[in-house]
Amino acid sequence: MPKEREVLRALVEVADTFVDDYDVVDFLHRLATRCVAILDVDEAGVMLADPTNTLRYVASSSEQMRLVELLELQHEQGPCLDAYRDGVVSISARSEEADVLWPMFASHARDAGLASLAGVPMRLRDDRIGALNLFSRRPGGLGEEDRHVAQALADIATIGVLQARAIHDGKIVASQLQTALESRVTIEQAKGVLSEYMGISVDVAFALLRTYARAQNIKLTDAARRVVSGAVSPDVLGTIRKPRS
Amino acid sequence: MSPAGDPASGGERLDAGRFARAVAIRVDAGDDPATALCAAGVDVLGLTGVGIMLLSGTRLDCVAVSDEVTGNIEALELMVGEGPCVDAFRTGIPCFDANLADDHTGTWTEWRAAVLAAGVRAAFGFPVMVANDCIGVLNCYRDTAGELSTAQVADAQVVANAAGQTIVAWQAEAPTGTLAWQLEKSGNYSVAVHQAVGRVSVQAKVKVDDAMALLRAHAFAHDTTIIDLATEVLAGRLRFDV
Repeated sequence: MPKEREVLRALVEVADTFVDDYDVVDFLHRLATRCVAILDVDEAGVMLADPTNTLRYVASSSEQMRLVELLELQHEQGPCLDAYRDGVVSISARSEEADVLWPMFASHARDAGLASLAGVPMRLRDDRIGALNLFSRRPGGLGEEDRHVAQALADIATIGVLQARAIHDGKIVASQLQTALESRVTIEQAKGVLSEYMGISVDVAFALLRTYARAQNIKLTDAARRVVSGAVSPDVLGTIRKPRS
Repeated sequence: MSPAGDPASGGERLDAGRFARAVAIRVDAGDDPATALCAAGVDVLGLTGVGIMLLSGTRLDCVAVSDEVTGNIEALELMVGEGPCVDAFRTGIPCFDANLADDHTGTWTEWRAAVLAAGVRAAFGFPVMVANDCIGVLNCYRDTAGELSTAQVADAQVVANAAGQTIVAWQAEAPTGTLAWQLEKSGNYSVAVHQAVGRVSVQAKVKVDDAMALLRAHAFAHDTTIIDLATEVLAGRLRFDV
């Protein structure tokens, strides 16, 4: 069945998110396009929550859909916001329902020729990260099967986004770890340089290094780097107020 | 070779949860966190020693070992700059030598001689991957020759991944610009060496990288370890004056 094949292809694309140079926005744009191909909908879009839990526009199947999504955000009402807030699918099968549910947004959807509006939450367990918008020109909402497939696609998108975030966070911490480890090496070397040059213990050398860093208003690591590279002579440090030993 | 018959795994597949429990047992027994990480690796893998090296700037640095002997072996590998651990890091794939005494490959010659003298008969290096990057290597040592079982290889990869995740989680909690406290203590093996390098650089009037080379050369020439040398330098009993 073509629909199953399309869903499988979307799954394969998620596997791409496990590699390095993967663009989460591009992935979500492709997913929005795929939603239109797989489901009985005319437009699809993705919104993700920022760190303050405010939804932001991320991707859409067309430029018109992008404008509709932005209006949804501007009026702070619509199926996407409900789905994100409540964590369940939000559906308005026809314009008259939308008028009641989202009075300010409904007219914009109607102007864009969209009668059936659905929002599908993107969540992993208790972690809500955003929602899919699935809009159609014909009224009727999402059919039973489409609703399941839509949730599966939303789950796929969620995994892709969370995976990208995990990789991003992991890379940041890993690089901080490397810097901190390197900094330790440099500081220990600087202690050795100072203690040898000035005939003092490594503890006194460390106190001197700290005093110098404070006096220069620089980081301890940078002070150590100056000492080790010879950019500053240990003699200069010796002229600083004698640290407590 | 069958996983079910592997005494190290006890017939139960290792996962991150079981490894975490093994670490907790070691912590309860009084190990500091970084040592517990490696000692738990020894426990679950059924080996002699386990160590973890991480990328520090542009080079590997030993951050955790299960015991002192392993610490000396790690220092040796870092000193000579060769061995399965260094190769596992460079290639990003596991590198094994299951029988160090049988040097048919002609690889890691210097390192091989040194660790054989330390009682090691087999060494296995596994890359530690975090966010798709190789940030270091898990080094496994055994005092008897022989391949790892399929189950042990799989389990060692679980340990390598879990150790990487744990260390990154520690670092994520550390104040910006500082090293996770759990890793501070374990660096004592290399602290003395780095301080000695600083001293020697002043004595010999050379850059720190060259001072390291001097220490290495001296350790080779006098059949001693760089850690013992560093201790001598810091005590003032050994000098490299020009």
